[in-house]
Amino acid sequence: MQAEHSERGDLNYLFSVTYEELRRLASTVKRHDGSITLNPTALVNEAWLKLASSPAFTTTSPLHFKRIAARAMRQVLVEAARRRNSDKRGGDQASALITFDEALAPLDCRRELLLLDTALTDLARIEPRQAMLVESRFFGGLEIDEIAELLDVSRATIIRDWRAAKAWLAHELRR
Amino acid sequence: MQALFHESADLPREQQQSFLRSACGQDQALLSDVLGMLDEDARRSLLDSNVAEVADRVLRDTAPRFQEVGRYRILGMLGEGGMGVVYLAYRDDLGHRVAIKVLRDAWLSAPRRERFASEQRTLAQLNHPSIAQIYDADTLPDGTPWFAMEYVEGVPLSEYFARRNATIEERLRIFRDACEAVRHAHLHAVIHRDLKPSNILVRADGGVRLLDFGIAKQLDNFDTGSDQTRTGLRLMTPAYAAPEQIRGERVGVYTDVYALGVILYELLAKRLPFDLSNKTPGEAEIMITQQEPAKPCGVADLDVLCLTAMHKAPERRYASVEGLIRDVDHYLNGEALEAQPDTLGYRAGKFVRRNRRRVIAAAAVFILIIAVVAFFTARLAIARNAALAEANRTQRIQRFMLNLFEGGDAEAGPAESLRVIDLLDRGVLDAQALKNEPAVQAELYQTLGTIYHKLGKFERADALLQSGLDERRRVFGVDSAESADSLVALGLLRLDQERLPEAERLEREAVAMARRHAPADSPAVEKATVALGHALEERGASIDAIQLLEEPVRSNSSAGITPDAASSLNELASAHFYAGHYKIADAMFRRVLDMHRQLYGNRHPSVGDDLINLGAVQFDLGYFSEAETFQRQALEINLPYYGPNHPQTAHNLIGLGRALVMEKRFDEAVTLLQQALKIQERVYGPVSRQVASAANELASTALGRNQLDEAEAGFSRMLAIYRAVYSNGHYLIGIALSNLASVSMQRKDFAHAEQLYREALQAYAKTLPAEHINVGITNIKLGRALLRQQKYVEAELHSLQGYTILSKQANPSVGWLKNARTDLGEIYDALHQPDKARRFRAELAE
Repeated sequence: MQAEHSERGDLNYLFSVTYEELRRLASTVKRHDGSITLNPTALVNEAWLKLASSPAFTTTSPLHFKRIAARAMRQVLVEAARRRNSDKRGGDQASALITFDEALAPLDCRRELLLLDTALTDLARIEPRQAMLVESRFFGGLEIDEIAELLDVSRATIIRDWRAAKAWLAHELRR
Repeated sequence: MQALFHESADLPREQQQSFLRSACGQDQALLSDVLGMLDEDARRSLLDSNVAEVADRVLRDTAPRFQEVGRYRILGMLGEGGMGVVYLAYRDDLGHRVAIKVLRDAWLSAPRRERFASEQRTLAQLNHPSIAQIYDADTLPDGTPWFAMEYVEGVPLSEYFARRNATIEERLRIFRDACEAVRHAHLHAVIHRDLKPSNILVRADGGVRLLDFGIAKQLDNFDTGSDQTRTGLRLMTPAYAAPEQIRGERVGVYTDVYALGVILYELLAKRLPFDLSNKTPGEAEIMITQQEPAKPCGVADLDVLCLTAMHKAPERRYASVEGLIRDVDHYLNGEALEAQPDTLGYRAGKFVRRNRRRVIAAAAVFILIIAVVAFFTARLAIARNAALAEANRTQRIQRFMLNLFEGGDAEAGPAESLRVIDLLDRGVLDAQALKNEPAVQAELYQTLGTIYHKLGKFERADALLQSGLDERRRVFGVDSAESADSLVALGLLRLDQERLPEAERLEREAVAMARRHAPADSPAVEKATVALGHALEERGASIDAIQLLEEPVRSNSSAGITPDAASSLNELASAHFYAGHYKIADAMFRRVLDMHRQLYGNRHPSVGDDLINLGAVQFDLGYFSEAETFQRQALEINLPYYGPNHPQTAHNLIGLGRALVMEKRFDEAVTLLQQALKIQERVYGPVSRQVASAANELASTALGRNQLDEAEAGFSRMLAIYRAVYSNGHYLIGIALSNLASVSMQRKDFAHAEQLYREALQAYAKTLPAEHINVGITNIKLGRALLRQQKYVEAELHSLQGYTILSKQANPSVGWLKNARTDLGEIYDALHQPDKARRFRAELAE
């Protein structure tokens, strides 16, 4: 795939952007600010809006961009989770300076995300289309129709794949 | 496994077990996996949650936890932004509280670390009561960078006003303070680029602090500017982003002006100008770049003020924050605003009557001049080595300033404001004090001199450029690259001072000198060559100019679309135009227009110049309505940029006026032309080619209206000026003679007309190619003068000659050709050659 090669260079930038966008989104969750749409679709759209006119992306279709963004988002989140978990293990030298509401259990979520990442990598080996679907939909917020177009299959197939992939991944996570 | 999952998934729960047992047979592992999947299918999993929530949970609670950062004791967390976490900290030995910003997740990417460092540098550079001060900076043991800055106890601007029922005046006063902080940043050549209410804190006492220079940009490093611009573009907040940011175009002072406009809008209207929630990127882009926002508050002046600041076109906004502040003050003092409502569908004819006061473009220039002067002055105090290290920056600032005038940046037009001149004068005084830094002083003289030149202040320019040249000769030698550069600038000034032979001599010397110090295809040599080509053109030696200019155009053509390539091609196109090669000139000017549009966008003054040139070509070819169209397009760019009193505006008005005269729309034409004449008299003095050109057009108009005395006076003035300026002869003298003759024709003084036309042809013979369109026109006119005196044989000679020249190149419908055919019909009747007479009448009837 031709895009794969230019992807690498763009990812570094996308990481920064995605990271900050994720942060912004995360902080809106915290504020429970209803005025801001809380979905990855809006996030990716906004990133696209910001990046579309930059030279690195002028030849990229919006759809393909969204897929790249989904990948960036996955990698940023996973990397962040990985580092934070290793910090924990590496000894908690700091005192509890700030305590957060533990209701959302960030720690579990991080572990779960890391497991999901591993499982997704496994899934890519047996069902590559499903893995791409999950990455695009979950991390990138792509619509079913968009993914169908991207993967060149029917809408029904996507819905079917999604259900199976989700069940398979959840089952893997529980092992 | 997946197949089994699908087959069983939609079965009723009780049937699933039995179906799978039979399907899996002895494979217990498979059975358990499929059952597991079916269980999960019924459950909610991580994948059903929103990625935003996941992000929140993954990224939260991640503020690096420590009790100390450097010598500061951490007291608590103040907030988190995209870049970092901000802590409240205390320094025991000094006993003061600070805010400490730590870059979060520094591992993520180098651009993040660079941006953090850049914010730190920017803050260190700024020192203003309304900008949070930086105190200290270092890295943590793990390499994570941090800096300590002034702790501001305040609330974001938006919240501050949400909590109280403030009057418009109170809102404006706080807004004005925020503007002052931004102005200060601009003064140091820093553009904030991410202004929004959450970056502006208001303290309990009403004091304002501007925060978060995380994506600020140094104005002067525009060599790498595009890249930085893009970084900013990616990280800005769309609601406050200017159209040029959305489009990924160059940002400038005007970008911050726009954001301040949006902030003011929000303060007045209590809502954002555009509701971007739930919009697709395309929709949002269209809204921001095209849709006009509703009036924010219904108070006419405030609406104008606010919407001027957030005008879609950067050049229609306040040219600086200072301009915006002035209008806020005007409003608060109950005075008239400097900004005027923007009228869409602007028409040039209305312009003069409307007498719109131009939004002062000066302020941005202002700021930069102060910056440069401050910088140079500061250099005296700092160590020599540091000065050298900064020399690069100096040059960039200078180039930036010049670009303001040359059109590299459209953020400010050359304003005629006295205050700019005052400021320049101050700059000169400061420059004069730099006695110990002769090289820097010379450079500053040259820069300031060039600015005076661009502003049309030739005497001041002269003195400064001359001083610059003298200094450089002393420092670098009489024969040096630096001296050559000074000669180029001085030569260009001489052209506008009507000292053409001297201009040419200077440019020739500059070319020769530049060649001795740099390769033939170096920018320095090309710059001098193009300047010499310009001088040759102005003298009327267009063929020489063409020969000279072909080389730089050739060597630039391989470089693609660059400002230098456009500039040399433009000069060559002009030379072809003056040589009468209209087709070539037309094609080249169109190419230059394309290049400029690609380089600078559609509303750049260079584009305005190109449109004027194309209008001039169409005019000379006799396509008057096309000429009018080009000139009007040009005026739409030039008027807002240069203002109503600038020579370039005059030049444009003359071009438009000429086209209108030919279209017999005299009233419109006269208003524009008189305006132009006034400007030219003031700027260039009464004996100048520019005044002659305006006088010519006005006289032509008078002639068209049969006001013969007025026409004669105008053409005579034109003739006298050209004879004074072009002591060695010039085709323009011929034009003046020919036009003067037309008055005699109208008076039926055909003998006098004949004499003048013959003089005109003599002037052309020395200065124009034999086939030139002007030679054709004057021959036709002479033919008619002879015809009216019944000198048919001579008349035939000239009419036919003119007809032959014109029919080869001009627009066939042009009046001159019709005249020639009519006259030739009559002439051949008189000469008893009915066949020929019929032929011309038949052509006429076509």
